[in-house]
Amino acid sequence: MTTRYQWLLLATVLALGGCSSLGVQPWERNILARDDMLMDADALDLAFDEHIYFSKEASSGGQGFAGGGCGCN
Amino acid sequence: MQLKRKKIAGLLSVATCSLLCTPAQADEGEWDVDSAILYYAEDDDRVQAIEPVINATKDLGDEESVSLKLVIDGLTGSSPTGAVPSTEVQTFIRPSGERSYKVAPNETPLDPSFKDTRVAYGMNWAKPYDRNNRRNYGFNVSKEYDFTSISANALWQHDANMKNTTWSYGFNLEFDQIEPTGDVPDPLTSMDKQMKGDSSDTRNVIDLLFGVTQVIDRTSLFQVNLSLSESDGYMTDPYKLVSVVDDDSGKPADQLFESRPDSRSRQGLYGKYRKTLANDDIFTASYRYMTDDWGVDSNTFDFTYRFKFGNGYYLQPHLRLYDQTAADFYTYFLLESDSPPKHASADYRLGEMDATTIGIKFGREVDRQHSWSVRLEQYEQTGESSPSEAVGQLRNQNLYPDVTATIVQFSYAFIL
Amino acid sequence: MASPCEVLIECELESEARQLSALARQEAVRIEQKFSRYRDDNIVHRINQGGDDIRVDDETARLLDFAQHCYELSEGWFDITSGILRRAWQFKPGARIPRQREIDRLLPHIGWHRLRWENPGLSMPADMEIDFGGIGKEYAVDSVLALLQAKTGHSVMVNFGGDCNASGTLADGSPWMTGIENPRRPGDASAVIQLKLGALATSGDVFKFIQQGGRRYGHILNPRTGWPNPYSPLSVTVAAPTCTEAGILSTLAMLQGKDAEIFLDQQGLKYWCYR
Repeated sequence: MTTRYQWLLLATVLALGGCSSLGVQPWERNILARDDMLMDADALDLAFDEHIYFSKEASSGGQGFAGGGCGCN
Repeated sequence: MQLKRKKIAGLLSVATCSLLCTPAQADEGEWDVDSAILYYAEDDDRVQAIEPVINATKDLGDEESVSLKLVIDGLTGSSPTGAVPSTEVQTFIRPSGERSYKVAPNETPLDPSFKDTRVAYGMNWAKPYDRNNRRNYGFNVSKEYDFTSISANALWQHDANMKNTTWSYGFNLEFDQIEPTGDVPDPLTSMDKQMKGDSSDTRNVIDLLFGVTQVIDRTSLFQVNLSLSESDGYMTDPYKLVSVVDDDSGKPADQLFESRPDSRSRQGLYGKYRKTLANDDIFTASYRYMTDDWGVDSNTFDFTYRFKFGNGYYLQPHLRLYDQTAADFYTYFLLESDSPPKHASADYRLGEMDATTIGIKFGREVDRQHSWSVRLEQYEQTGESSPSEAVGQLRNQNLYPDVTATIVQFSYAFIL
Repeated sequence: MASPCEVLIECELESEARQLSALARQEAVRIEQKFSRYRDDNIVHRINQGGDDIRVDDETARLLDFAQHCYELSEGWFDITSGILRRAWQFKPGARIPRQREIDRLLPHIGWHRLRWENPGLSMPADMEIDFGGIGKEYAVDSVLALLQAKTGHSVMVNFGGDCNASGTLADGSPWMTGIENPRRPGDASAVIQLKLGALATSGDVFKFIQQGGRRYGHILNPRTGWPNPYSPLSVTVAAPTCTEAGILSTLAMLQGKDAEIFLDQQGLKYWCYR
């Protein structure tokens, strides 16, 4: 089971890496450059959520390195 | 001789913007400060928390920056122990052995003296190697009266394909030390017995992360992360119990300390998509699949939609849907006739459950210097409260009480 | 920059005005030194030696991105590699028009498409040259204005030899006033423009042309033919949100020759075209 999922994950990531036709020219980045379009926008909200759900649920992480363990789980 | 494309002023304007409008960033030497305070309260006088956070980032020029973070987390209230309710008054000896507490008939046993203050410090240093390669190093310390965590991480990012593709890879090493009140209990031994365990125990966690962020077009991008995590050491919660009940009456005969395996491997797949729509609103969707060798598989869907009004005001509804399967060793209780298992936990967080979060956030980006927001969310967790394996009196008890929590958060960001 | 440059700041304290104008001067000199083709110690010189994967800094990269975009948008009519035509065309009093074979010798060394620009590396044959002359001054105007705007809330007007950009009206709500010279009547402001917010740029130089055989050859050359358009207006002034845009549009209008006004009308911007 676990092995099968790992292969699935790897295949997905590799497939995405091949999307070099996607993308924009440097001068077309005015919208993407906005603060609220960054993938890590609202970083404090994400950190709070990570901490709350870590203490209430069995799964955690996946997005990045949350930083600072907790004895709550 | 004439241009085929007649009207070029609009496109030229966009090109000029990328020439002149360099991305908003703090000027060298300024501190970019994000501050917030979170209030978290569960219904029925369970856990309450107040958590102020401050994060300050200083731009050192040439895209190098350092940031410092301080989190204080004040917790009070009571937390379920994992023991089953009973038709009779139950008496529990607290881990310290100094004081006992009683639980009324038909009430979920809660440890009433759950009180803790956590202080966490973090620092992060980011520096590019060159235009397409960056490194981030982080260090975190977190301290509670019975728990200490130290972790260090490194993340490298490589831009390719004219910065349309960013590859990320990194690792995090975490070292935790647990010093429970009244020593580390022997797993699956009766709570009544005098403990002869060590005063502390430790665990190590290694996380690996591999990710790619891809720009799709001028208004959208997505991110995919693959994460692997290996934990080794003491993973048991020293305060959680498993009730041993009479096979027929269902009445608790003994309370054992829980026991979890001393290793855990997790794998996760995380995907996130973000798009600015024609009216400048922003839609974000993410999905996370996690699986581990404890038997917990979970799915998390998360959606936000940012309505943007003029003058920097925005309103952002949020929906999060979560479900997980139970850990293999999760059990509501043990029967007296059962042969003792290797591991058992009745911690509701390891049980099968669904959770829903509904939230709304309102805020304003005042200018480059200031922004504020207020966020209100409600979290609800539900599980099977009348499992088929219930015996005797347990058939009439709520064996998986729902959790409802309210979250209020104020945030303010400014430049010093 | 070989033209009078002025910065007008509406403020009460002379010390503040001095401080801001010193900053403006510093920034203008910085850009001039960094992107001038007449120096041998800057990035333009380094690029013009030719080479494979020449690494450039972020600001130069943005200018190269912009130059590429202008090349594509203008279907090759705006090309920063066309400066090499200077070797044939000498716009000074008494100069003659070059022979076709002099121009033919230069044309193979022109063409942005012959470069390979992959941020941050530029690969260029040694027989080619780039020249930011067509955008440098306007870029300097916009950069200086942006710098001053970040430092003061007062209204500011930056004017480098007629290419200008203003940050807003004066405190009493009145606009900045600037004159446009009619090339037929030098020294006489034939139109006074009220500038509140935005920029002006002018292409066409009263003194930079060759008059021969009853025809006037202006200094704005078509990179494909190596010749100026014989029916170009004398000068074109365009008003746009930034000086850089205004500059590109006025240059392209000049290259359109007798269709200059048609091209300008299509852009939906205010302009002044003198013939």
